[in-house]
Amino acid sequence: MHIPENYLSPATCAVMTAAMVPVWAHSVKKVKEELPKKKIAMIGVGAAFSFLGMMFNVPLVGGTTGHAVGGTLIALLFGPEAACLAVSIALLLQAVIFGDGGILSFGANCFNMAFILPFVGYGIYRLIVGKNSNEAKPGRIYACAAIGSYIGICLAALFCAVEFGIQPMIAHDSAGNALYCPYGLSIAIPAMMIPHMAVAGIIEAVFTVAIYAFVRKTSPDLTYDNIRLANPEVTEKKHTPVFALAAVLIAATPLGLLATGTAWGEWGADEIAEIAEGGTALGYTPQGMVEGFSMEAPLPDYTLGGMNEVAAYILSAIIGTALLIIIFKLLSMALRGKVA
Amino acid sequence: MTKTEDYTPPKDGGAFYYKTMRSLGRIMARLRIEGGREGRRALPAALKIFLVLAFILAVALTRDRLILMGLGAVILMVLATRPAEVIWSVAKPALAGALLTAVLYGPAVLWGGGALGNGLVLILKVAMSIISVGLLNRTTQWNHLTGALRKLHVPGVVVFILDMTFRYIVLLGKLMDELLTAVSLRSVGKNNKKYSSVGGVMGVTFLRGAEMNQEMYEAMQCRGFTDDYKGL
Repeated sequence: MHIPENYLSPATCAVMTAAMVPVWAHSVKKVKEELPKKKIAMIGVGAAFSFLGMMFNVPLVGGTTGHAVGGTLIALLFGPEAACLAVSIALLLQAVIFGDGGILSFGANCFNMAFILPFVGYGIYRLIVGKNSNEAKPGRIYACAAIGSYIGICLAALFCAVEFGIQPMIAHDSAGNALYCPYGLSIAIPAMMIPHMAVAGIIEAVFTVAIYAFVRKTSPDLTYDNIRLANPEVTEKKHTPVFALAAVLIAATPLGLLATGTAWGEWGADEIAEIAEGGTALGYTPQGMVEGFSMEAPLPDYTLGGMNEVAAYILSAIIGTALLIIIFKLLSMALRGKVA
Repeated sequence: MTKTEDYTPPKDGGAFYYKTMRSLGRIMARLRIEGGREGRRALPAALKIFLVLAFILAVALTRDRLILMGLGAVILMVLATRPAEVIWSVAKPALAGALLTAVLYGPAVLWGGGALGNGLVLILKVAMSIISVGLLNRTTQWNHLTGALRKLHVPGVVVFILDMTFRYIVLLGKLMDELLTAVSLRSVGKNNKKYSSVGGVMGVTFLRGAEMNQEMYEAMQCRGFTDDYKGL
């Protein structure tokens, strides 16, 4: 679901980024007010889960790939505002260091995955789980979490598809060839929605419930339901099992390499002309992709030419996780300084 | 007596000298060895020094980017386990070092063309080396560090000088700051002899340093010091 550079017109990118600014401002304010300072540092671990989730590519129907995002999961652990910040920073790292998702389209990616996904996912969870979630049965909580995360990721995919789909309408040259993403709404929506509803949504739901259940059992002080209601029965605990789970996920990331295809809408400028959609190949490379802005990421696609892919993938996972934890530790320190 | 006085001293020369020396003195006075705190299960200092040296050597020598990436992952992982204050105090100089390297290397990239990848590797290598030294500094007590140097067969004299320098640099800095305060208190208004007192301040600092040195050596000899220094 990472929109690469030059798939969206600069105007779309500007609008999406502008739409994100108030969301980010609100999130920072809310997180500062609501979360204890120690918890802010732990958001980094949540962001790391999201980062790792996005590295597990799963082959989808039609030769493309998809992945879980984990936005709803972080919203369940630390609240939707914290999830917005966590996913935004994970996306920023991916865009700048690993070349996954574009720099200009960063705002649009954040809108889909860091705003729509956690807020919708968490909203639906709260809506159906009932008022006092602490008294609900675990089975009911997990079912609600699954439904919330499933709808969240599908809606995020829908927004992503619409952003792709309106490009041929708003940006094309005199010959009618699209400047940016060449596929209209009638192709983009089914191409994004079918795989996400059939596979990626289910993976997201499984990923969310599995990790949420694990955290609820081993570190109950880390769930948003308990933070929000300030449940006195829950005491601070060591979070070793959570870190151990992150280590296991890091070790397992090379499984994401099993999916060989490129995700729909994430082709490089060199592949797009040969992509066949509805029986005929596109036949041209959109002008905006040839001449557009591009930045060389230090570790494009989590690896470098000539490297052992598995080792590079694991190391990328470690570097990403460590950086996220460091960033959020520093953030929590900066916020503590301001409050005191 | 009834009039309010409105007196601003005329500007005189030497302000630049004084400000420079003053800030130098203040920095020296602040240069206490930052209390590196050790956890209960810390590695022995000698092993840590060896690991850091090996790490820096490996970072400097490797030409394989996968190995560099691995080393980066290791150092970031260690850094991520530290508390936020330590991370910041280690990351600050590393960022400064990386920035300096970027500035130095910038022209080569601009005019040499196409060397961006190499420049980035260089910047990363600098930052990683600084982080490793910073981590060593922040996680090890100073006396354990010099003790470890002794164990690694660094001559006793060298370790002794290191220890003493770090102890006395603070005292000398404080002394310099005090001397300068005294001079400026005695020279309200225009003082044309300010430049000539600069040499005096430096000279007194040096003489006082030598005196303290002599006193300490005698005190140590009185307590049975036999020129065989084993660290603090």
